[in-house]
Amino acid sequence: MADTLGSFEQAVLLAILRLGENAYGRAVLNEVQTRLERDVAAGAVHATLERLERKGLLASRLGSGTPIRAGKPRRFYRIRPGGLRALNEARETVESLWRGLEWPLKGHA
Amino acid sequence: MTTNVTPPAWAETVLRAVLKPTDFATVSGDLLEEYRETVYPARGRQNADRWYVVQIFGFAMRSVALWGALFGFAEVARTALDWFVPTHDFSVRSAVSTYVGIGLLLTTGFWSAWRSGSVASGPVSATLTVIIGEIISSIGAAAMLVMFHDPRTMSAMEASGGLSEAFTLPIILVLPALLLGTLGGALGAAAHAKVRIDPV
Repeated sequence: MADTLGSFEQAVLLAILRLGENAYGRAVLNEVQTRLERDVAAGAVHATLERLERKGLLASRLGSGTPIRAGKPRRFYRIRPGGLRALNEARETVESLWRGLEWPLKGHA
Repeated sequence: MTTNVTPPAWAETVLRAVLKPTDFATVSGDLLEEYRETVYPARGRQNADRWYVVQIFGFAMRSVALWGALFGFAEVARTALDWFVPTHDFSVRSAVSTYVGIGLLLTTGFWSAWRSGSVASGPVSATLTVIIGEIISSIGAAAMLVMFHDPRTMSAMEASGGLSEAFTLPIILVLPALLLGTLGGALGAAAHAKVRIDPV
């Protein structure tokens, strides 16, 4: 069984998947903010990327800088097979929890 | 594209102090890009600077969260001991908690400087550790006060220095944190220069 992913970890991994070749720190931050529809701290995304890489779910490489970054390098991320497995399992878990229930939920809370 | 605007230089210095050198280049590049391309054009100089400082503060707090938590829980434990197991002689407890505090602040300074290679990260990290620790300690003391305010506990609390001590310690601890952090930072930076292991 792959690592159990938290919802923020899933948001970060899915952002990397959507961004493809262009998945570097700032792009991931913006994609996560867009999908979650709220402001997210850059530090939270950075810490998550670092943790996922340590778990072996991500790999990274350094790319070149640009003038707007004062020439500072970008770190590009890609999902490793373990990351895909973990995402698939997370999706299956959620689907299994919802199976048999009609959505949106109705009735008295 | 606005490549001529720059965020506060001191904030970048703090970021350099709390991150590994390999992370600093990429993270500060990401923040600078976001600052120049999105935040500054949309919010103006003052709000963009505020955004940048908040981001840096987030990185800094995350980098010492574990040490801050340890410091805070050590203080909560000491407060609980004094309130619920009262004594007339505080000398042993004071010595133990002082040495634990010194050890934690020295270690924080050493660890962060070893990680970043910068002596400055020692005092920065130790001060942030104290801030986090004191937030935890104050919340802990307030929670204990809400749950236990019987006459016996209140009298033990007064005998151990009173409520004011539990809440004013943060201000007193900043100076020792700066000194111990600097000492630990100097040792950590020296270790970083000698032993090039990439710590977690």
